[in-house]
Amino acid sequence: MSTNLDIHHLAAAYALDALDARERAVFEAHYPACVICSHDVREFRATLAAMGEASATPPPADLRARLMQEIGETRQLSPLLPGPVAHLAARRRPSALVLAAAAAVLLLIGLASFAFGRSSNDDRTFADALDHVLAQPDARLIELTATDGTGGRVQLAWSATAHQAALLADGLAPAGEGMAYELWLIDAGGPAPMRLLDPAADGSLRRTLTVDGTPVQWGITIEPRGGSPAPTGDVIFLGAA
Amino acid sequence: MTKEMRAFRRLHSAATATSVAGSDSLARLLAAAGRGDQAAFGMLYDELAGLVHGIVLRVVRDPSQAEEVTQEVFVELWRLAPRYEESRGSVKSWTATLAHRRAIDRVRSEQASRNRMERDAAGRPGEVESVGDIVETSLDNARVRRALGSLTPSQREAVELAYFGGHTYREVAVLLQVPEGTVKSRIRDGMIRLRDELGASS
Repeated sequence: MSTNLDIHHLAAAYALDALDARERAVFEAHYPACVICSHDVREFRATLAAMGEASATPPPADLRARLMQEIGETRQLSPLLPGPVAHLAARRRPSALVLAAAAAVLLLIGLASFAFGRSSNDDRTFADALDHVLAQPDARLIELTATDGTGGRVQLAWSATAHQAALLADGLAPAGEGMAYELWLIDAGGPAPMRLLDPAADGSLRRTLTVDGTPVQWGITIEPRGGSPAPTGDVIFLGAA
Repeated sequence: MTKEMRAFRRLHSAATATSVAGSDSLARLLAAAGRGDQAAFGMLYDELAGLVHGIVLRVVRDPSQAEEVTQEVFVELWRLAPRYEESRGSVKSWTATLAHRRAIDRVRSEQASRNRMERDAAGRPGEVESVGDIVETSLDNARVRRALGSLTPSQREAVELAYFGGHTYREVAVLLQVPEGTVKSRIRDGMIRLRDELGASS
């Protein structure tokens, strides 16, 4: 796929926010796990910040007071949990020796493959799948809205003709002990369970999905870890299909 | 932030575009803000308001809208403060990214985008030049001026249309009537040259 050849050259345009939604989604799926691209993005952003500093302009003086009032009424997001080792420890409680071995293995295979958890996807195959979905004439890129303001971002690329979707999420809080996120396809007949979603320790999630049916909406709830046949938790993300 | 520290930083920002001085204290302020310390956040605002508003104003252009966006950026900074990680870059770099992203979101609604395309295509090249002029006249920083000056005119045009004009590289290609691949190369080569000139490290 051409994306793989070109993708490393998109870091500058990405740092300038000069990619369209499709390329941005593909690049965001790729770059955090790519040593070259994440380095480039960091450096280009630092370059732009240096340029921005040179043209600094003070805002009107009364803005400060209004802002301080607003933040006094604005809830902050929860911090993200530390790295994958802690995540592993919390989930499976292995011995210190196993933990150390796991950490060594993780270092070897890289954070990327871990971030995709038990699925066999790595970032490249996910990026390919995402690109494939977005290349369909009927592809839609949907942003699911957080309904309770707890933060996190969920986007879903979906093509009805390809029967495929790719889900990208970042900044998701842990679902809680014994709980999991569950994605629902909502059509005229109501919500049908799609997939349990287990974000990585850094709150990110990349999943490809097979979609049969005609959703009107997509929703995400928090359910007991085994999943539920029908939603029991509050809808925390919702988007029109 | 004390007056002394501010004076100290001003002194240093004349010498270095990346302004290494103060980056530790910014990280400390942001960490404190992340624990809900509003006073620390106020000090962070004092340090970063000019950077944020400068970027937002150049993209959004309308002063009252720019003021709104600047406020949104800082509310977002407050909300996200507990999640800042140094691996994502310096506080300044991260803040500038948030500011530009917000400004772009504001101008990139479909209608606004169409208007910008018409404006920038309708034979008003002065508009683009003036962006560079704002940068050059207001900055007291010789390194940034030299860095911008080191770009070829076509690289500089592509970078400025994208960053300050808020256009995607595809839109820039339409505006300049050159192939998309050419614009991608100009943007990439231009950014690499700027980075090398400014010696910016994250």
